[in-house]
Amino acid sequence: MRNLRLVGLLAALGVALAACGGSAPPGTTGQEGDQQGGTIKIGSIHPLTGPLAFDGQQMAKAGKFAAERINAQGGIKSLDGAKLQVLDADSKGEPEVGQSEAQRLIQEGAAALVGPYQSAVASNVAAVAERNRVPFLIDVAVADSILEQGYTNTFRIQPNASSMGTKGADYLAELAEASGTPIRSVAVLHEQTDFGKSVLAAFKARAEGSGMKVGPEISYDAVNVSDLTTEITQVKAEGVDALVVTGYYRDGVLAAKAISSVRPDVKVVFGIANGAFDLPQFTSDAGKAGEGFFDANYHFNARDPEMRKLAADFKAKYGEDIRTSSVLAYEAVRVIASGLEKAGTRDPQQLREAISGLSLDTLMAYPGPISFDKTGQNTSATPIVMQVQGGTVRQVFPKEFAEAEPRFPAPPAR
Amino acid sequence: MTRRAPLSLAARLAVAAAVVAVVLVLAYARSGSGIVVSQAVLTGLLLGGVYGLVAMGLTLIFGVLDIVNFAHGALMTVAMYGTVLLASHAGLDPYLTLLVTAPALFGIGMALQSGLINRTMGSSLANQLLLTLGIGLLIENVLLLSFGSEPRSVAVGYAAPLRAFGAVADLTRVIAFLGALGLAALLYLLLQRTRVGTAIRAVAANPDGAQLVGIDVRRMYVLTFALGTACAGAAGTLVAPFVTVEATTGELFNIIAFVVVVLGGMGNVVGALVGGLLIGLTEQLGGVLLPEQSPLLAVFVVFVLVLFLRPQGLFGRSS
Amino acid sequence: MTAAGTGTHTGTRTGRQLLVLVIGAAAVATLPFILPPAQEAVAVRILIFALMGVAWNVMSGYGGMFSFGHAAYFGLGAYAGGYLIVRHGVSPWIGMAVGAALAAAFGVTTGFLAFRYRLKGAYFALATFAFAEMLHLLALSFEPIEAAAGLNVPLLQGSSWWMLQFPPGSPNYFWAILALTVLAVAATIALLRSKSGGYVIAIREDEQAASSLGIPVMRYKLLTVGVSAAMTAVAGAFYVQYYLYINPDLAFGSAVSIQAILPSVIGGIGTIWGPLIGAAVLGPLSDVTATLLRDPPAALAFLEGRSGLDVILYAALLIVIVLALPKGVYGALRSYFARGST
Repeated sequence: MRNLRLVGLLAALGVALAACGGSAPPGTTGQEGDQQGGTIKIGSIHPLTGPLAFDGQQMAKAGKFAAERINAQGGIKSLDGAKLQVLDADSKGEPEVGQSEAQRLIQEGAAALVGPYQSAVASNVAAVAERNRVPFLIDVAVADSILEQGYTNTFRIQPNASSMGTKGADYLAELAEASGTPIRSVAVLHEQTDFGKSVLAAFKARAEGSGMKVGPEISYDAVNVSDLTTEITQVKAEGVDALVVTGYYRDGVLAAKAISSVRPDVKVVFGIANGAFDLPQFTSDAGKAGEGFFDANYHFNARDPEMRKLAADFKAKYGEDIRTSSVLAYEAVRVIASGLEKAGTRDPQQLREAISGLSLDTLMAYPGPISFDKTGQNTSATPIVMQVQGGTVRQVFPKEFAEAEPRFPAPPAR
Repeated sequence: MTRRAPLSLAARLAVAAAVVAVVLVLAYARSGSGIVVSQAVLTGLLLGGVYGLVAMGLTLIFGVLDIVNFAHGALMTVAMYGTVLLASHAGLDPYLTLLVTAPALFGIGMALQSGLINRTMGSSLANQLLLTLGIGLLIENVLLLSFGSEPRSVAVGYAAPLRAFGAVADLTRVIAFLGALGLAALLYLLLQRTRVGTAIRAVAANPDGAQLVGIDVRRMYVLTFALGTACAGAAGTLVAPFVTVEATTGELFNIIAFVVVVLGGMGNVVGALVGGLLIGLTEQLGGVLLPEQSPLLAVFVVFVLVLFLRPQGLFGRSS
Repeated sequence: MTAAGTGTHTGTRTGRQLLVLVIGAAAVATLPFILPPAQEAVAVRILIFALMGVAWNVMSGYGGMFSFGHAAYFGLGAYAGGYLIVRHGVSPWIGMAVGAALAAAFGVTTGFLAFRYRLKGAYFALATFAFAEMLHLLALSFEPIEAAAGLNVPLLQGSSWWMLQFPPGSPNYFWAILALTVLAVAATIALLRSKSGGYVIAIREDEQAASSLGIPVMRYKLLTVGVSAAMTAVAGAFYVQYYLYINPDLAFGSAVSIQAILPSVIGGIGTIWGPLIGAAVLGPLSDVTATLLRDPPAALAFLEGRSGLDVILYAALLIVIVLALPKGVYGALRSYFARGST
């Protein structure tokens, strides 16, 4: 027992000493890149452990993969072929850690930051980036409020929550119109935090504007929920034409299972910014229950040959199917690379200028190239509509991105 | 203690029935649909069975060792991964894997208790809490490291929804519910009718006294903890077919399981089952009554009321 | 439990402790001149952590009432401070005071209920947890202040002590939280050495005996809870000011309650220096393990592209420390030296 105690003391003291001695290499790293060529560092902050590690880990890989590809093609040519180096950081899903990791990365000489998958972490890192005057590219983080702070160094490639709600209502109305199946009443099932609420509010405003009746609105706790049968029964009892579902992956699978056993008489199940319905593994986890589900969400453009090549190369290297969140991380690194190319310098403020004036073709299914408005929002960011057809997620709407015809109405499978 | 004389069992049941009736009427008035209410009741019972299932092992450990075991959910996840692997690679029926996961978790429990936790027996609540938190974190991240972060699922070929009174229930959830009943009965028999069970109860009631009459208290601790984790293993396997299995899945059940343990009375296995059902019903009917609020809010309100009014749990004797 | 505050040679001991505090604080205050700015962010995080630990220790270490719900007080402080500055432009110092008052009121009210119904030990802990969790759930749906969306503190140009905002990398943040933590420790020392402190310890050791001696037990328990809650709220209000953002999970999540417990348990429950040492040991631990394993040595190359190893190491160290030092780092050091000197 006494030996053990000694070990514990030594462990504790060792840790304390390590902390005092500085856990990062001394601050010499920032300067070395300034000679011609060399490397340019990009900080990448994602949740690599904890409940969100599944997406965070692939996003980190995608960012690295982008840098590798750019380096293989000669690096940043206007900087004498300087190579990109992506430094990974684990936010652990916690804003405090995200913030200190962002500080560390900037300290280690990162010319720009990429991340972070969660809105709470994004709010934090955006403030760090703003105060240190380093550009920060948001790949995934949906909350409207992040870009409403008047920051000039933060840019977002994906659409925000309210624009997805609005656009989702438009798509639902257009699909109904085109197929001659009227949708007059819509029930909404949404997760209860800011994300679900903002999507719902925007959807409701737009849908009611175009004559749909919205209700009931049913919320649930995405963290703890383990059954949605009662909620779906409430939808069934209401007898609505369509069910809109906004949430994350695990709860999306639960919703699909509940829909398949309760069998509400809806004409469509329409996800908006749903974190499950447009993912390849959803079709295997939910099985037949998910057949016919729509999702209005941002998505990579599966019709783009370059995108298909990226997906194939990524699969060859990592053995995983690349997901949209990871394509966004890939795009974020590309945006930084083009910004560097255009600026011809690694000075963060000139890089910021270059990025804000950029117009870059994208692998995402957006109607135009990536370019940012004054708040830093990508003006071309729009969701498209996917549908599960025959066990595969297909792009179905709008027409320019459609891989297959939408099947509308699509009552839940029996 | 200046407590009023306890109500008789009949009176308590009458009070409970009256409360349930009022809640059902309110829920009906609120939703305007009988089907919604019957579905909420059915789902509540089934979900409650799962909560009870998870809480059974926990209450055993809490009652006998006086440890708030924060690693319980993580241990449950270990069993889920066991089921996933055996079902997908060895092609076993998911429910057959119970024969592997429960004994395996029993072994893990023995190792944990005799190797780590026995050292802190009798030290402060805080130390044990941090120790089990640390163990839980360790297990979770070993799972993450070994199996990666991709969510897994277990397919059951014969799963079909069952229907009753306009309400539906997944077969897998019904099986989990029946499993909870079976496990509760098994544990009850074990504790009440066997020599080992008597010894465990003796240790729970009075460790020093048990020591005096020649019971090896430390061994009983090891055995109880192992039994508790074996229950976590059974729970993990039984819920695996209807959850998405990730390294953090079991953790979701931890908090509710603690609530259930207190409701049922520490160490009371049957109480855990009934407490679970109560929480399941509260959550589901609360969701119907207050659709704007998180269903958990109702759960915590009930929890605090029980803590204040019957801290020994709904079914415990006051000490 | 350690035998803190035996009551003899009180005067010299208080003086000595205050002296140690002042010297220690002065030494730590020089850190910004030594540490690179990125480490300073870690140092601020550790000090917030330490302040929460000091606060928890007052209620649960000295008061003996084990709290598993300090997130309630932290969150009230954070939301009060955040709301006042974001919506009304009120100085965070005032926000801190308002938050502290709110949290103390909440702590005293819920504490009164819990003591009225004689909750103890694990049951008391679970009750505090339930109250924190209720606030968490309410915050998610509380419309008047749009709590669910979170609050973003607006950035100022330049720096201001009154609005507690400075340019990035400014050591002022560090000094501000250091001063708050030192004040909290000084307040703890003062409380302990006062007559009230003697009562608090007496109640912890034997409530019935204390009561039969005529000590108003309820009043002193509530006093302890109120002081602890107010200190925790100050940490919460500073948190918002430093991280510029708060949402219901960050304010009221159960992880916050665990954070408040950790420093004291690791450092030494019911000791003045325990929470500070615990925070200093544990705070950087996850950064250290992450740094060590960021570029894994060749032997671990097969783990490339996987994660979790740093958290495994962190968890293992936590387990070792808890097992090996049941009285915490400070407790172990003290008994080691006590044995050496006799």
